[in-house]
Amino acid sequence: MGQLNFSNIHKRFGAAEIIKGIDLEVEEGEFVVFVGPSGCGKSTLLRMLAGLEEVTQGDIVIDGVKVNELPPVKRGIAMVFQSYALYPHMTVFENIAFPLRVERTKEEELRKKVEAAARILQLDQRLEQKPGQLSGGQRQRVAIGRAIVREPKIFLFDEPLSNLDAALRAEMRIELTKLHKRLKATMIYVTHDQVEAMTMADRIVVLNGGEIAQNGAPLELYHKPENLFVAGFIGNPKMNFLPVTCKGAGPDGVKVEYDGRTITVPVAPRQGMEGRRLTLGIRPEDIQIGKGELDIPVAPSVIERLGANTVVYAALPGSDTENYCALIAGSAPVRAEETLETGVFAKDCHLFDEGGVAFERQVEMTEVDPELLVATG
Amino acid sequence: MKSNAMIDRYRWYEVIGIYAGVLLFLTFVLAPFVEGFLVSLKPLTYLFSSPYKFWPQNASFDAYFTMWERVPLLGRYIFNSILISTVGTIIGVILITPAAYAFARFDFRGRGPLLGAFLAVNMFSGAVLLIPLYRLMRSFGLLNTYFAMIVPGVAFVIPTGIWLLRTYMLRIPQELEEAALADGASRFYTFRRVILPLAMPGISVVAIYAFLTIYAQQFIYALTFNSKTEYMPLPVGLYAFFGRQDVIWNELMAASFLGVLPVFVVFIYLQRYLVAGMTAGALKT
Repeated sequence: MGQLNFSNIHKRFGAAEIIKGIDLEVEEGEFVVFVGPSGCGKSTLLRMLAGLEEVTQGDIVIDGVKVNELPPVKRGIAMVFQSYALYPHMTVFENIAFPLRVERTKEEELRKKVEAAARILQLDQRLEQKPGQLSGGQRQRVAIGRAIVREPKIFLFDEPLSNLDAALRAEMRIELTKLHKRLKATMIYVTHDQVEAMTMADRIVVLNGGEIAQNGAPLELYHKPENLFVAGFIGNPKMNFLPVTCKGAGPDGVKVEYDGRTITVPVAPRQGMEGRRLTLGIRPEDIQIGKGELDIPVAPSVIERLGANTVVYAALPGSDTENYCALIAGSAPVRAEETLETGVFAKDCHLFDEGGVAFERQVEMTEVDPELLVATG
Repeated sequence: MKSNAMIDRYRWYEVIGIYAGVLLFLTFVLAPFVEGFLVSLKPLTYLFSSPYKFWPQNASFDAYFTMWERVPLLGRYIFNSILISTVGTIIGVILITPAAYAFARFDFRGRGPLLGAFLAVNMFSGAVLLIPLYRLMRSFGLLNTYFAMIVPGVAFVIPTGIWLLRTYMLRIPQELEEAALADGASRFYTFRRVILPLAMPGISVVAIYAFLTIYAQQFIYALTFNSKTEYMPLPVGLYAFFGRQDVIWNELMAASFLGVLPVFVVFIYLQRYLVAGMTAGALKT
């Protein structure tokens, strides 16, 4: 139980259209992450699913039942809020028990359920404390506990980790993944953090401006972004975009020119592209020092040494801002303001047309388990 | 707690200036109380001695005992005052709390104009409306009852009470209610289990405000709408000390102080709630 279906969902606030027609299927037991920049409509979509926001147009169907007009509790969902929304005047026990008290569950059964949830979340020792006495991570767990006791078909998370510090966030990510494995429930998770999306999701739905930019498994999005937006959004540091001119297309791919040098990118060719302005996408981690199939000499302006890696920022010729970024070895001998030879290989490159739509890459991703490229439940 | 923060450091002349300012204003505010108290300690004959002596000679608390004999209903007046204020406060809080919640959370037609009207009501003192109120009371047959004094008092605390409590309730995060809604709680259940406990400091402020206001305002309603001696609150009852020929000033002052006492106690005991409630949420804690 927990199969979900959005069909042609629209949401308008007055004249502003926030959600512009979303179609999406979520399989039972899937962990789906909605990700996108602020204002892309991801939270609105979640709130419509939760029943906190009305649907302007379209149908939300859970397990074959249209739920548009149903109150939240009848939809079989439980939601975890960004601010945790714990009741400050109640103990942890009463907070977790709240949904059961609403249902007038018998005291004995209620106690059993709350204690079971507390055990899963390691809150057994905290049941008599008030939320104010807990740390951020513990509060988060209480909020999850309150969702668990209801035994919902679908869990909804609205940016649940964004109030935590970086170390705790990494810890909670692992806990949430374990929780998903353990409960085998459908989970819908909203975040603006692509790391959270990449690490936890079975499937990522990237939203931009109220529409789905791409929908797929994390590594599918990473290796085969369908458009410039997804290419720029997934991956950290951000993908580099170089303006190139198309010089022809053949069975090997599309030949493009950058700054007088050419490279043939192995992508599905299209006809009649000669002379067009295209965008070459290169991930910072695919750039190496020295020669490649396309050489890009730059003068680094800022160098960040992270220990494991070094991040090099530079301005491409004809630009004032640092729009070129390379992720290289931690001990790489680079210095600011000294010209650095960088190179890339054609198989690592992405290519986008004037409309920002990607040419499909034809690379054999032999090192990637093919199952990881297909979204599975 | 001694603060060592740099912002709390003053030079000696700044400290003197601050205290001089405080003293000046306190003199204006407290002088009548001091004089009243001193008068209550003086025997009546010394009150009109010439030249007038500020500090009492032969000071005694006699007036605090003799006043009960001269005005036998004094105890009843004090009881009436407290009864009117207490009942008024309870009715006020019962009416204000749900109304404030509605004004804080429900988006209904006319909410803005109504809130504006509530502020406007404060521009009229009860005195302006005495005659219409009198006619109203007469038509309802409420003249010469406790209710004649309670109802107008309550009516005049409701608008400000709603404003105070609404502001407080607006600070309760909406996500708490959404969480309760998502967990299947009804509006009323959420109000009872979540909003009410969290709004308690705000409700205390409103209750204190209502009690103090009704206590202070009952005089004018009692004077107009009630002629039964046994229902009189203290401020009106004090007229009993005005004799045919002379006024028993020392006992009058003694009774006044006794009358201020309940308000004073309420205020001392609850003023920290008042301050905390009025500034709550101003800073994130």
